[in-house]
Amino acid sequence: MLEGAEFYFNVDHGYLEGLVRGCKASLLTQQDYINLVQCETLEDVKIHLQTTDYGNFLANQTNPLTVSKIDMEMRKKLCREFEYFRNHSLEPLSTFFTYMTCSYMIDNVILLMNGALQKKSVKEILVKCHPLGRFTEMEAVNIAETPSDLFNAVLVETPLAPFFQDCMSENTLDELNIELLRNKLYKSYLEAFYKFCKNHGDVTAEIMCPILEFEADRRAFIITLNSFGTELSKDDRETLYPTCGKLYPEGLRLLAQAEDFDQMRRVADHYGVYKPLFEAVGDGSGGKTLEDVFYEREVQMNVLAFNRQFHYGVFYAYTKLKEQEMRNIVWIAECISQRHRTKINSYIPIL
Amino acid sequence: MAAPDLRAELDSLLLQLFQDLEELEAKRAALNARVEEGWLSLSKARYSMGAKSVGPLQYASLMEPQVCVYTSEAQDGLQRFGLVRASAQTPEEVGPREAALRRRKGLTRTPEPESFPALRDPLNWFGILVPHSLRQAQASFREGLQLAADMATLQIRIDWGRSQLRGLQEKLKQLEPESA
Repeated sequence: MLEGAEFYFNVDHGYLEGLVRGCKASLLTQQDYINLVQCETLEDVKIHLQTTDYGNFLANQTNPLTVSKIDMEMRKKLCREFEYFRNHSLEPLSTFFTYMTCSYMIDNVILLMNGALQKKSVKEILVKCHPLGRFTEMEAVNIAETPSDLFNAVLVETPLAPFFQDCMSENTLDELNIELLRNKLYKSYLEAFYKFCKNHGDVTAEIMCPILEFEADRRAFIITLNSFGTELSKDDRETLYPTCGKLYPEGLRLLAQAEDFDQMRRVADHYGVYKPLFEAVGDGSGGKTLEDVFYEREVQMNVLAFNRQFHYGVFYAYTKLKEQEMRNIVWIAECISQRHRTKINSYIPIL
Repeated sequence: MAAPDLRAELDSLLLQLFQDLEELEAKRAALNARVEEGWLSLSKARYSMGAKSVGPLQYASLMEPQVCVYTSEAQDGLQRFGLVRASAQTPEEVGPREAALRRRKGLTRTPEPESFPALRDPLNWFGILVPHSLRQAQASFREGLQLAADMATLQIRIDWGRSQLRGLQEKLKQLEPESA
């Protein structure tokens, strides 16, 4: 691939890059968060959000205002922006957008399958599915009994088809297998996305590959942390780790043998990038959790992506930053509605 | 009954009542704290897992209880509330139900015993790899359950204590005019 994106990037993608930079400028600032934290009720939150770029997005909501309504409306707004970008994109940016939506599709598939396990109606679950992960065969997901069934009958035409390599099996889908399926799908997806970015080369690879490596390693750490004390065996655990990160291969092998948090920390100490992150984790209920530390690092990397021009990473970074903003607002709103304000400042400021 | 004895009994009953009330208040504060903690931990879990992964979509509308309440009589004849893990009782219920099914359907339904293994942990409704905050929420709610049972027992003791108090006060009033 010819280097020198600055010569021809703007021909196809300049308009969209300008647009996404404009959208990024409208993310909430520290002052906005300070105002939100001081609200007493959800109605106050709505009034404060009217002064930001969100505007009157809650105007059509009936009383009483709940946190899940706020979440849904914010998500709809993000979806509108994303669909606009996607509809105006050309190759290879369109493939990039398709890769981005695959993660939401995986979430939706798993949600539908869990719902089938709990005997929920498809309509009920479709309402809660992530709008960015919508695909036409969604309603048929709940008829599948095994992963092979799922692939052959439902997903073979969707963008998720290539990720089913390691997941084909005849086991019936109970909770353990659904969890394994989710993680294996996500691992294949992440590795495919990483390869796409790397093959594209140029600034996109320089920005996206570190971000995706971090995502892979973060998943490995979180899977390990959450698997302590569960019925997941160490071998099963190792098959769930994405291999496109810095931890591959020695770190992943060590992680698979870890049995508690301290052993995990010792694995992380071998890597200069992860050692300071683990040191920032507070112990007990006072300080930050590992997940918080990872979210902060993700926000850092995504903000830095905007310092370079002529690459696709700005779209990925904007979507992730917007999602973090939504998580922040939902957290603040939950603390306000539960009247439990001690941890209200645990959001992660972006700008 | 002599008035001084009655007064002494009244005093001791009053003291016991106040002690029970204090204990009830303390338990109520603890229960509120546990429930608040539990809900906040659930919000934290939603923060990491996504808002739709921790919600009514994850559990069935009909569910088997893990913990049941039983009542028993204490020495002073008052009711006590206690909690029992339901798994201890289900194996006994399978037998007659299975026989009833057999009679109705006329087929041998061997799958029945397998559908009541150790009762599934509700934590697994949300997946196998759940974040720590969800486990914390479960622990907080479990502690709250025990507190709720204790509070119910205390409430009964307090009501009984108040009725006793009223009875004794009536008797005292009857004795006072006589001795006066």
